[in-house]
Amino acid sequence: MRRKFWQRTLLYTVVVLWSIVCLFPFYWLFTTSFKTPLAVSRGPRYVPYVDFQPTGDHWRYLFNEQGRTLARHFRNSLIAATGATVAAVILGAMGGYGLARYRYHWRRFFNWRNDNIAFWIISQRFLPPALFVVPFLLLYSWLNLIDTHIGLIMAYTMFNVPFALWIMRDFFMNLPIELEESALVDGATPWQAFVRIVLPLSAPGLVSVAIFSFVFSWNEFLYALMLTNYEAITLPVLIAGQNNTRGIQWWYISALTLTAVAPVVLIGLALERYIIRGLTAGAIKG
Amino acid sequence: MTQPHAPARKEEGRPHERTIKRIFLMPAVIYLLLLSVFPMLWSLSISFTDYQRGAIRTAVDVGGDVSAGAPAGAETPTGQGLRLTLRNYERMASDQRLHTAALNTLTYVIGGVLLQYVVGFLLALVLHQDFWGRNIARVIFLMPMMVTPVAAAYMGRMLFDSRLSPQAHLQRILSSLTGWEISIPWFGDGRWATLAIILIDSWQWIPFMTLLLLAGMQSIPEDIYEAARVDGASSFQILRKITFPLLLPISLTAILIRGLEIFKIIDIIVVTTGGGPGSATESLTMYIFRTALTFGNFSYAAAISYALLVLVILFATLFLMLGRRFARQSIS
Repeated sequence: MRRKFWQRTLLYTVVVLWSIVCLFPFYWLFTTSFKTPLAVSRGPRYVPYVDFQPTGDHWRYLFNEQGRTLARHFRNSLIAATGATVAAVILGAMGGYGLARYRYHWRRFFNWRNDNIAFWIISQRFLPPALFVVPFLLLYSWLNLIDTHIGLIMAYTMFNVPFALWIMRDFFMNLPIELEESALVDGATPWQAFVRIVLPLSAPGLVSVAIFSFVFSWNEFLYALMLTNYEAITLPVLIAGQNNTRGIQWWYISALTLTAVAPVVLIGLALERYIIRGLTAGAIKG
Repeated sequence: MTQPHAPARKEEGRPHERTIKRIFLMPAVIYLLLLSVFPMLWSLSISFTDYQRGAIRTAVDVGGDVSAGAPAGAETPTGQGLRLTLRNYERMASDQRLHTAALNTLTYVIGGVLLQYVVGFLLALVLHQDFWGRNIARVIFLMPMMVTPVAAAYMGRMLFDSRLSPQAHLQRILSSLTGWEISIPWFGDGRWATLAIILIDSWQWIPFMTLLLLAGMQSIPEDIYEAARVDGASSFQILRKITFPLLLPISLTAILIRGLEIFKIIDIIVVTTGGGPGSATESLTMYIFRTALTFGNFSYAAAISYALLVLVILFATLFLMLGRRFARQSIS
């Protein structure tokens, strides 16, 4: 379709403008991490070597002096996010498969059938986390889970499972059933059919679910703040905590923030396709 | 809900099949019962008691401005026992700070959803066009969504600083052009701060709307457009009479998801304003958090969290009712 000149101009103007809106904060963060405190406090400076002299001091400070702390919190985030992702993928894939392929009827429980169960499960995803502040604090201090990795993993799994199950159910329902049936005819058990045939075919769905779970958990703030206080603090809490120590050191915070954000942004850039698939599977058909 | 491949295996199969279908679903269900349903019920029962504890220290100080008004009833002595009481719910009626927090939360939700939907829709229209660089643009547009909200909040805080950010230059240019002294106290004033928080949240989540609506647009069959064009419809008519109505279902879903997510807002506020000035930007989640951890009033926090749940359910129900009615009208 041919477009008029002004239409094309308008199109590219909007695209370029919005790209700047998306990218400029990253650019600002990046350059600020190379500015001296003086270059920050004397008003905006834009281009390195042109209106300010870049320095690598803050990055050196972050990775040398603060290296051990940073590594610990980075590892906390990694453990919590990975653990919750693995748990959510397993529970979600199994539950989603059950709801997609079997017929449930909970006679003693509101007479619920598959759709009711699926709706109840996804509704858990949208409950305000504030609802869990009080009971989780009590439960966790009773179980001695405060400030532990396993505690964080448990909490994150709780809000990742509904989403994982919802997407996997959708994925399995669109998967032809014939392959499993022929496997069953050949003498495989339903479990074998699920593990050997269905799961390998569902790799794209599993990847989507894994990315979402990982990113949610990596970025999570409320539970991390509530359930950790020293040993198991994750990156978002570490960053938010820079607020009240010796004034705001923008240059240092910028370096720290970039380090924390890099893994998920890189995942996003590399696996953009799967993210869009996960988004649309969750929302369009829901 | 449609099921393209209806469950093939019989419900009352061999006992073996009853076991296997339980093995698939039960782990997730039991997990949610233990970590979601049970805590919720527990919290409900706590909200009818008077349970208080000492303050709990967190890594980030969200105690904020205590002088902005401790929760009503913070003066009650602890250890009243676990007698049943309705006072936590009665207290809510006269708690000014709670009302402010509720109003703020609604402002974030409504303002955020509107802005994100409108801009998201326009950007989806742009991305739906065929142009060189479209795939790159899509990846760039996606980027803010991946960022940790806490990090986005810091970026926002830097860029809304009217002295250290490019805004300093923008404001100087605008001032000299218009002759007025233009200087926006972004985080110094409650209303501007609210706007700044909405803008930061929107920067991050407009991509979500864009990508969902784009996927919706791509699923509209091309021949509908062809037919309309043959009949001589203008681009604007096509947008109004075809694209928009056909996108309504997914629009409603997207808005609902975003709305429910914004009800949870806390991290951006903690980093940018800490709820201030005073408690002008405090959200309900933040107030609940403070009531429980800083003021140690567990029962009152539990009661407010149920008020929040009621608010969320009301929002979702009302929105879906109005949305469905609107959808029916715009299609007929």
